[in-house]
Amino acid sequence: MKNAFKLAIKLLIICVISAGALALVYNKTQPVIEEMKRKKLKSNLRSVFKNAVRFETIKEDTLWHAFDESDSLIGIAFKAYPRGYGGPIETLVGVKLDGKITGIIIASPSEGLKETPGLGLKVREKWFTDQFVEKKKEDLLLKKDGGTLDAITAATISSRAVVRGVADGLERYLK
Amino acid sequence: MKHFINGIIKENPVLVLMLGLCPVLAVSGTVRDAAGMGVAVIFVLTCSNIVISLIKNWVPSQLRIPIFIIVISTFVTINDYTMQAYFPELYKVLGVFVPLIVVNCIILARAEAFASRHSVSASILDGLGIGIGFTLAVVAMGAIREALGSGTILGKTIIGESFRENSVLLMILPPGAFLVIAFLMAGMNKWVKK
Repeated sequence: MKNAFKLAIKLLIICVISAGALALVYNKTQPVIEEMKRKKLKSNLRSVFKNAVRFETIKEDTLWHAFDESDSLIGIAFKAYPRGYGGPIETLVGVKLDGKITGIIIASPSEGLKETPGLGLKVREKWFTDQFVEKKKEDLLLKKDGGTLDAITAATISSRAVVRGVADGLERYLK
Repeated sequence: MKHFINGIIKENPVLVLMLGLCPVLAVSGTVRDAAGMGVAVIFVLTCSNIVISLIKNWVPSQLRIPIFIIVISTFVTINDYTMQAYFPELYKVLGVFVPLIVVNCIILARAEAFASRHSVSASILDGLGIGIGFTLAVVAMGAIREALGSGTILGKTIIGESFRENSVLLMILPPGAFLVIAFLMAGMNKWVKK
């Protein structure tokens, strides 16, 4: 009985020390990480919508309005989460008011992308995402499905998911 | 010194002890991922070896496994936060594989089999040796798989553009990992057990 009590105390001590160390590191690193995420989002918004100078959050982490120098609304940016091969593919899309896409960016694996490395993960590559620029909703179809966009070799599911996700997002947000 | 060399060749964790193969198979698709994983493992393994060696006389034998796990997971989490905050580029590449170091049995095995029975200095050398042995093995696999599977090394095209476009896709898929590790182990067996 006494022995069991001693064991429990020892385990408790280790846990307390470990929790203390983690709390310390967490407090130090968390502001840096948060700050980085904010900066990342800002630069992502800028790169999907190069003409915009200011973004206004309409729905936290989902929908933004984009404004130009004269502060007039020129388009929107939104996040879509189409289902890929391994899970949702977080896609940030910028689109002008006339319905033409200005650019898309796909989140990285550390931000939760679960596509297969070397295959589905290639949806992040520039040649793939660049295909969407200046496209309208009607143009969003893979060559396989009778459209104009190239799919990634051996990763049709992921390619198609992104195309659908962007198209659905346009449908939903651009009214 | 003996402990250091030991981990690299005679007791190479991946190719001879065959421990912690799961992350090895998973992250060896490219050289960059493999090297990043290796560095993270060296850090965690060395730190946990030091701490466990320091507290070895204080830890009751019934409790050693839970305590080792707590120590290891603490270092993995510290490593995870630090990388995320100060090396975001590296973290971006490694992503989910960093937290997975907790379940890498090489680290627990070294804690149990080595650090809890040896001095701090020997444990540091053992941690570094085993860590480097792990890194070399994973990077070797990464190099072979990336070269054959994507036609590149560290993202740079080798062998030629036409090969890059028609590479052996199988090699970067999971079966490729099993094939490569089998050949590496066979080579290691021939070479080490001679």
